[in-house]
Amino acid sequence: MIFFFILLLLVSIAQVAEFFIPPLPWLFYAHVYIVPVVVFSGAVMLPFPLMLALSLYAGLLLDALTVQVLGSRVEISFGSSILVYAVLAGIMHGLRPLFVRGRWEVHCVLSGICTSAIILAQYLMISFRRGSIFFTPQVWWQIGGPGLIAMVISLPAFWMLHWLARATGYPYLQEQTRYRFE
Amino acid sequence: MSRSSIIALLVFGALLGYFLSFGPDTTRKLQAGVYQLFAPFLNSGSGLQKQITSVSGKLKSLEDLEKENTGLRVENRQLKATNQALRDVEHEVNRLRHALDYRERSVFKLVAAEVVARDSSTWWRTVTINRGKEDGIEADMPVVTDEGLVGKTTTVSNNISVVLLISDENCKVAASIEGSREQGIVTGERVANGLTPLLDLNFLSKQADLKPGQKTFTSGVGGVFPSGIPIGAVKVFRLRELDGQAQLTPSVDLTRLEDVFVVTGRKDRK
Repeated sequence: MIFFFILLLLVSIAQVAEFFIPPLPWLFYAHVYIVPVVVFSGAVMLPFPLMLALSLYAGLLLDALTVQVLGSRVEISFGSSILVYAVLAGIMHGLRPLFVRGRWEVHCVLSGICTSAIILAQYLMISFRRGSIFFTPQVWWQIGGPGLIAMVISLPAFWMLHWLARATGYPYLQEQTRYRFE
Repeated sequence: MSRSSIIALLVFGALLGYFLSFGPDTTRKLQAGVYQLFAPFLNSGSGLQKQITSVSGKLKSLEDLEKENTGLRVENRQLKATNQALRDVEHEVNRLRHALDYRERSVFKLVAAEVVARDSSTWWRTVTINRGKEDGIEADMPVVTDEGLVGKTTTVSNNISVVLLISDENCKVAASIEGSREQGIVTGERVANGLTPLLDLNFLSKQADLKPGQKTFTSGVGGVFPSGIPIGAVKVFRLRELDGQAQLTPSVDLTRLEDVFVVTGRKDRK
């Protein structure tokens, strides 16, 4: 349980940190997203109910800090990010046995893909609201760039959280034996 | 699926339904609450960021000093450090004097604010400022600098507010053009092609024939932005099927915002 609260804290810190990380000019001004990496790391380490709770918290923060309310309309319905996070974290959670066996590379790649999926979902929602949709190379880079960055940072993030899980005595690795001999 | 997972899923579904049912007012209130909660971290993070930038600048000058001869190194380092510190102070004084001058001569009632954080999302162009309800700021108030229009406030909590920049596609400003009777609507672009965003001036007549460098100002139509605030200069004018469209370079460098003013009303003239 301590590990879960540490993850909540990390999500909050990452969310604040994102405000101070400028977009990367060498990657078509793609933004750096750390929160999804923390959430997806948590998704493979936490049990299902806590994974849902973490997705709820991260989605809530994302919507509260980014969604625009303009006059009498909300651009993206509050709570939509929670749903997106939960679905993607659910997919990551489904591949948990692979992670417990030490096959981290699958989850690193998936973290990147899922991070891009969040941005793509946001883009589709705002395009629907604004009544026009277009996919220029810039749009693809804005969607794909953060995913690439997430793939790169997910490996140290997984390692750090794995270390934290050990340090706090979180027992997710106990399942390792079970999966290996099943 | 275990019993606890099913219960968790049901609770999650109920909470999700509750959040999805939020209207604009509830969303604004919740957003203001969350921003209020994060305000100390955003404010201190902004200070920390400035310190880090300042330290890295000084380290660079130290590297340069190593190349010079040993006798001058100490003296040079001291002079450079003093110089740097004075330059920082001078920059700060100039910036504040500029701001104060503008505030004095402006016809508007202005609340000075500092930008503490920039947009953290891909699709919205916003900045966060360190002023809120306690300073008399409300939603939909224009935000300016001495150079021109910056945007308008959206989410406002007690001592922190979010400003939607004019470079955002959602920020629509009625504009008039210098030396012309043409009027149009300025909006930002959904996806910026570079760090410096450009603005689109739409709904111009096909005969507008705007020239590069022509200035645009707020026309005052719509009620949010008072008239006469510079928005930008025409970069290029192009004809579309039904109307004309101009691309503008913003008057304000939106990538380097430090101090801004929130327009809370007009000054009473005696």
